[in-house]
Amino acid sequence: MNYEALSQAVIKGDMKQAELETQKALDGGGDPQSILDHGLIAAMDIVGEKFAQGLIFVPQMLRSAKTMQGCVARLKPQFQSGTITSKGKIVMGTVKGDLHDIGKNLVVMMLEGAGFEIVDLGVDVAPAAFVKAVAAEKARIVGMSALLSTTMPAMKETIEALKKGNQRGGVKVMIGGAPVTAQFATEIGADCYAPDAGSAVTEAKKLL
Amino acid sequence: MQPLSIPTFQPRLKVLDRRQALAIHTAALEIIEKTGVKMEHEGARRMLVDAGARNFDQDWVRIPAYLAERALRTAPKQIMLFDQNGDKAMDLRDGNFFYGPGSDTTFTLDLESGQRRRCVLSDTGRFARLADALPNISFTMSMGNPQDVPRVEYIYLYTFAEMLRNTNKPIVFIADRLEDIALIHQLACLVAGGEDALRLRPFILNYSEAISPLRFPADVVDKLIFCAQKEIPICLPSGSNAGGGAPVTLAGAMALGIAENLVGLTIHQLAHPGAPFLFGPNVSVLDMQSTVVSYGCPEWSLTQAALADMRDELYGLPIWSFAGASDAKSVDAQAGAEAMFSIATAMLSRCNLIHDVGYLEYGNTSSLEMLTIADELVAMARHFTRGIPVNEGTLALDALARVKAAGAKGIFLTDDHTFDHFENALFLPQLLDRSRYDTWRADGERSLYQRSNDRARQLLAEHRLSPEMDPGLAAEISKRLDRL
Repeated sequence: MNYEALSQAVIKGDMKQAELETQKALDGGGDPQSILDHGLIAAMDIVGEKFAQGLIFVPQMLRSAKTMQGCVARLKPQFQSGTITSKGKIVMGTVKGDLHDIGKNLVVMMLEGAGFEIVDLGVDVAPAAFVKAVAAEKARIVGMSALLSTTMPAMKETIEALKKGNQRGGVKVMIGGAPVTAQFATEIGADCYAPDAGSAVTEAKKLL
Repeated sequence: MQPLSIPTFQPRLKVLDRRQALAIHTAALEIIEKTGVKMEHEGARRMLVDAGARNFDQDWVRIPAYLAERALRTAPKQIMLFDQNGDKAMDLRDGNFFYGPGSDTTFTLDLESGQRRRCVLSDTGRFARLADALPNISFTMSMGNPQDVPRVEYIYLYTFAEMLRNTNKPIVFIADRLEDIALIHQLACLVAGGEDALRLRPFILNYSEAISPLRFPADVVDKLIFCAQKEIPICLPSGSNAGGGAPVTLAGAMALGIAENLVGLTIHQLAHPGAPFLFGPNVSVLDMQSTVVSYGCPEWSLTQAALADMRDELYGLPIWSFAGASDAKSVDAQAGAEAMFSIATAMLSRCNLIHDVGYLEYGNTSSLEMLTIADELVAMARHFTRGIPVNEGTLALDALARVKAAGAKGIFLTDDHTFDHFENALFLPQLLDRSRYDTWRADGERSLYQRSNDRARQLLAEHRLSPEMDPGLAAEISKRLDRL
């Protein structure tokens, strides 16, 4: 099936039109997984590419992501529970002692837009809460954010806690935030560092 | 009869008229009264409720406008910061302006290699010493977020001590929480000669941040109340950056940031009426491609010029602002252009305490060269802002008569009037290059970056504090840090 009209609507961020096209595709007997992969995620790949080239701005990309989310909500009832395949599940949170969430929220939206399933633990997330969520959600990536230099040590503590809880082996650790550096990521044994939301998507794709 | 003297008009930039200022103020009051704020500090919540605010949804409070209006009246219109010798240094009020560095950069440009590298504690010392040496830099801030402090939870105590060791100018400092701000206050008391002496002659000012939109974490409010009680001047911007923590339109971002400032001020004045509070949200923009908070954008200069107008029209409180910073990654043409733009407009709009001078890379990298260049740019802007004095001496009709009388040999360059006036009449650059081409070639074709590097090195090598820190005091400070 051809999902060109749907993809175009997602790329434009035309929410009404995109949901209409999603419904049309379903009514026409389209396979939900195929609509997701070839209509929605394919569109978001193009959006990501355009953004990387500086052809569009963040609000336009986020509108496309929001449009995609609306379409996914339409698709969801069509899936048997558990049969929808996302690009992978990511547990995200701002680390213990840190209440800043603008950066983290941006990363969450971008990752969702790229087709990842996100479990957002919010701010001031204790190491134990990360460990619990990684185990419960069978997450493939855990993403941690910190804005303050005084809360950066909590990233290391969380990695230690993942090790102690026997959860480190199955999960990749991605970190970011204003004072965080690639060198710091190496020092504390994280798998990767993403300097901004866009590169968080690129890095997450690389990790899996 | 003596001729009447003509006052010199000093160029002043205005960006808001009174109606615009009132409309933004009214919107800010509507935010605190109708939307409310998330006040996570229990004591502050109780204080606000006791004063007439309403508590809802657990920790949210709506604050009647009159409480904010009352706080605006009890807060002092002038904050005098002293230097560490106890002399008046920064008279923060009306149209007085003072420039200095910022805090917490992750990286710095190494003076030797020119490479961007992680900040270490001695960088904070170098910035403080350079700030002490530069004539147009009035205060210092840590500039760095050093990676080599013994215990990261006391990072702001270490940087504060490092600044004490390297400057006698006023210090704008950051603290993490109540515990470390109390320890920093104790160090400041040691320097000032006791708590009363520090209260009378404060040389420190705290910078703390609420979180836009509308969030007041408990530890931030702890610091706010501590500063009020100890009469440590404080400012409390919230990062209401357009498109990020705040609406993308500047009026809305300002209204939100001012609302958050008014809430901070209200708590502050309830805790201790008359305690000094420096007004001002930081309203920059979130860049719509990189999502960095821009330090080179024209919008931030515009919002702080607007705030200066609101100070003059409504608030009367001295304001917090920025300049001399850039989003460029190196000390290049972009860095120079952005630094000059904000330095000149901050001065022309009469911002008061102007920080972040010497920032590169949207505040992620600091540069000693950039601070050195900015010192000269401040001097340049100051020359412009002084305007054109018009009087008998400057009109110089007698000099013209002498030159005419000298006939063919007449030239102003040799006239006494030139000798007497040129140092005041003209801006005489030290770093900006006006040399003739051949001289410049012979001198190695050095760029402004190279010249400022030389100058920074020279100042750091030669400059001495007057006086350097007393060895007994230095030992006591070290002892306290070792005890942590």
